[in-house]
Amino acid sequence: MATRPAPVLRRDTQHRMLGGVCSGLGRHLGVDPLIVRVAFVAAATAGGVGIVVYLLAWAFVPAGDAPARPVRLRTSRGMIEITLGVALLALSVLLTFRALGLLFSDAVVWPLVLVAAGGALLWRQSMGRGPVVTRRTGETGRSWYASELERARAAAASARRATTPNERAVIVSRTSLGVALVIAAGLVFLSATGALSAARDVVLSALVVAVVLAVIFAPLVLRLVRSLTEERAERIRSQERAEMAAHLHDSVLQTLALVQQRAEDPRAVATLARRQERELRAWLSRREPTAGEPPRLAAALEQAASEVERDHGVAVEVVAVGDANLDARGEALVAAAREAMVNAAKFGGGSTVDVYAEALDGEIQVYVRDRGPGFAPGEVPGDRRGVRESIVGRMARHGGRAEIHSAPGAGTEVELTMPSQGGP
Amino acid sequence: MARRRPDLPSLVAGAAVVLLGVVLLLDRLDVLDVRFAALGPLACAALGAILLASGLARRD
Repeated sequence: MATRPAPVLRRDTQHRMLGGVCSGLGRHLGVDPLIVRVAFVAAATAGGVGIVVYLLAWAFVPAGDAPARPVRLRTSRGMIEITLGVALLALSVLLTFRALGLLFSDAVVWPLVLVAAGGALLWRQSMGRGPVVTRRTGETGRSWYASELERARAAAASARRATTPNERAVIVSRTSLGVALVIAAGLVFLSATGALSAARDVVLSALVVAVVLAVIFAPLVLRLVRSLTEERAERIRSQERAEMAAHLHDSVLQTLALVQQRAEDPRAVATLARRQERELRAWLSRREPTAGEPPRLAAALEQAASEVERDHGVAVEVVAVGDANLDARGEALVAAAREAMVNAAKFGGGSTVDVYAEALDGEIQVYVRDRGPGFAPGEVPGDRRGVRESIVGRMARHGGRAEIHSAPGAGTEVELTMPSQGGP
Repeated sequence: MARRRPDLPSLVAGAAVVLLGVVLLLDRLDVLDVRFAALGPLACAALGAILLASGLARRD
């Protein structure tokens, strides 16, 4: 497993709360600085050890700028292990100091530790991570519009991230745990100071007052919540509009500018228009490949068609019914289909090439058709290896089959069939 | 031949087990008087160190 070298330990003065020690240590270890801060707070209650260590680090660790690239935090499992590890180490320090009689009062230490942990969770949840914003100097070359579009994209991406079910589950669980820890801290403090029974009466009174207030103000709160919900929906719509504007700017407007520049070359204009059409269709149907996702059949065929169009200047129409993940067989199928498209573009007399793909249960079929002069498959010379090796042979090697239907004057159709195990 | 880097979590876990064994041996030989108040923090520290090493080794 390849490992990346950790950044050199430096105090992070850009994201500091005090001296930037915790932030720098978190960056060095690749963990959330909040974990380090909570550990220092816990250690500070153990006879002030955390304070001493912090001051020493502040004095002796040099300050340094944050790296140009944001440091990637570790995977969630690694973060959980680090959090638990730091918590257990802090607990062992506290227990040791308690056994040695160096701990402050139990009534102070344990509530403080619980409040620090719960407060950190709630703080993290309320502040969120948000989009990574990098300030760059010397942006005078970039237009204001481009900067606005970039911000709109980041905001829209952030809004989308916050609405996924997994995100919601994490938010609820973190908030609940934070609230539980803070309440536990209060109860421990009241219990340790002997004020729990008195507090019970106060809590009961407060509960009655809260119920009365809830009955009185419920309609108002409900209206407020609805208003906030509508406002949020409007904000999301606005962000979606901004994202669409950004996409149109990047794609359609740029293509139109190129079309104006090449107006005297009809073939180039047609190619540009076809490429733009293909890209817009993929965007509208959300078929654009995303980083980290496995390649898909329809997107791969569209990509191959786009390349053939660009290289040979012939229109290639792709219609895909269903979709599938691409395994090795699927890749071979796409390669064979691409070869068939190239042949159709080269020998089809300039006619449009039609590609029809259908992902069935356990099988993928692709048809590549042209309306060119056609040929007699039995009369193909033996040294022409394109059809024999790149299409028929390739399909056979991967467990599929290829059939070529053609006759002089009747066009050509290549039928490709491949067993599939890729998920839909 | 390329030298293999030691696996940090395994190293820490092994050291923790050795340390625990030494402490228990000393207790058995009556050199130390180990009680739960002392063994609890030690166990916490050992487990915490193992988890921390494992988490730190799990680089992206």
